[in-house]
Amino acid sequence: MITVNGLSKRFGAFPALKGIDLDVRDGEFLALLGPSGSGKTTLLRIIAGLEFPDAGRVEFNGEDVTGLKVADRKVGFVFQHYALFKHMTVADNVAFGLSVRRRGQRPPKAQIRARAEELLELVQLGGLGHRYPAQLSGGQRQRVALARALAVEPQLLLLDEPFGALDAKVRKDLRRWLRQLHGRMGLTSIFVTHDQEEALELADRVVVMDRGAIEQVGTPEAIYMAPESAFVSDFVGESNSLPVTVTGGRAHLFDRPIDVALNGAIDGAARLAFRPHDVSVCGERVGCLPLLVTGVYRSGGEWRIEGEVAGIDRTIEIDVSAAHPAPDIGTRLGVRIERARLFQTGEQP
Amino acid sequence: MATRAPGRPLHGPDPATPDRSVGAASVIPGFGLTMGLTIAWLSLIVLIPLSSIFLRAAGMGWADFVAAGFSPRAIAAYKVSFGTALIAALVNALFGLLTAWVLVRYDFPGRRIVGALVDLPFALPAAVAGIALTAIYAGNGWVGQYLEPLGFKVAYTPVGITVALIFIGLPFVVRSVEPVLADLSAEVEEAALSLGARPWQVFARVILPAILPALLTGFALAFARGVGEYGSVIFIAGNMPFTSEIAPLLIVTQLEQYDYAAATAIAAVMLIASFALLLAINLVQAWSRRRVDG
Repeated sequence: MITVNGLSKRFGAFPALKGIDLDVRDGEFLALLGPSGSGKTTLLRIIAGLEFPDAGRVEFNGEDVTGLKVADRKVGFVFQHYALFKHMTVADNVAFGLSVRRRGQRPPKAQIRARAEELLELVQLGGLGHRYPAQLSGGQRQRVALARALAVEPQLLLLDEPFGALDAKVRKDLRRWLRQLHGRMGLTSIFVTHDQEEALELADRVVVMDRGAIEQVGTPEAIYMAPESAFVSDFVGESNSLPVTVTGGRAHLFDRPIDVALNGAIDGAARLAFRPHDVSVCGERVGCLPLLVTGVYRSGGEWRIEGEVAGIDRTIEIDVSAAHPAPDIGTRLGVRIERARLFQTGEQP
Repeated sequence: MATRAPGRPLHGPDPATPDRSVGAASVIPGFGLTMGLTIAWLSLIVLIPLSSIFLRAAGMGWADFVAAGFSPRAIAAYKVSFGTALIAALVNALFGLLTAWVLVRYDFPGRRIVGALVDLPFALPAAVAGIALTAIYAGNGWVGQYLEPLGFKVAYTPVGITVALIFIGLPFVVRSVEPVLADLSAEVEEAALSLGARPWQVFARVILPAILPALLTGFALAFARGVGEYGSVIFIAGNMPFTSEIAPLLIVTQLEQYDYAAATAIAAVMLIASFALLLAINLVQAWSRRRVDG
């Protein structure tokens, strides 16, 4: 188990991490998700030992490794741009970790070669060991990088935007394959991504980060369905947000009440966040949100409707079933918010 | 930047560039024109002047050519010229790499000044360098007065020649290696470290192979410059035939004695030897680069 405690790090005046606490369970596939500048890569590099914190501790299975260098931590690290050794063959790349071991711990040459070939089979690159990295495609190079990291039998596999440099199709194939490999080898893996789809699809648990702090840790389901902060709600999945005032347990957009279930909301200013698909069309009743339709797009089996909320200068997007005819641009549409989350704010609605 | 220029022309094709073989019709236009201009220019500037040396040498007959080009004094001069140039280029390869490393890897106050200092040997008239070095390393000079009692005689010996050539050749290695070293990604080193490599292993097995082609370029340029160097050497060399007389000086000596035939014979031998050595270094370089670029 990996434990991170009170980790802080500054780069000059810029606070990259502000007191991070995190537990990573054995065998877990964990995603660090956040926008650029959120500190996710810094956190990964500190866990790897490529960067050192200003304050806080990193423990591997209860053992303090905060001061240990990367070479002594037994972690595998995979870089976004592969970082392969260009002047070595693919097989030599994979064998590197074994061949730099001290004389006593280094396996014999034939055994290193066999192990490299075995790992190349594992990453489905058997027989390509004699090639140079420049002769491989991007997806193949990243698999070589993975085989190279696995060669030293790390207790922890760390991946920094591992699919970031690949095109969409290869990316999808490779991440499914990596997910299977992770399960089959019983690894503990942490990967960094800014792609929420990737994080939700791959990870057992997702850590959402923003501006050097953890916003939420949870299963993909929990992150998507029950975001705990306005940031998570905005960052993960599509989300609309309306400034509302809560009085007497009901949300009001200006003075108009909105029909939406609120559990135990405190009176005051808040942001109402809801997903485009969590709405239904409801006509002109009281409690419905009146929309002025400004755009209609076909999106799969649904209409994606863009509309201005009457009375305030705020555009929202909703999905309605394409079974109905599309509303015309410029017409009014009543919308009922079926499921929403409320986040307290200090700001005036 | 003009100071980068010496290193650039010898660098191989960009790995991203597709096949540029002559036979294939290229989408990049202008091959015929640029190649024609290049050949014409090279002929005018390099080939025609050099071929005149061979024409003159060819006119003197084989026996005379051997007698002048391979006289004991000429052979001794070749040994001095190529030997000192080789040693100087090797020393420069080592310390030039070190200098480039320091300039690229570390940020320290005065880094730009050190960078400018490296280029000074390019700008300084060679004779000035020669006189300055002689003044320092002569028996009564700043450094020489301490070395001489210890038995090291620098000025007026081949050691002095080597010192002058080291001075002259330093920028070539630094400027060849520097950009390649700067382009080397930190990730590659981190990858090696994460796999358990110790710092010296990272240097020997990851960094050095990556910069080897550039280092060879710098070495070749420094060596070539050293073989042909005249101005800075003649002041510090002492110019004793058979011990500290360089081949270029011998050529000038022959010219001053109106022995043009002997001068051209020696020039022709030097030319062939230099060309053969540079070609060999280029081939080694091409081989080491092919492995990197695939």
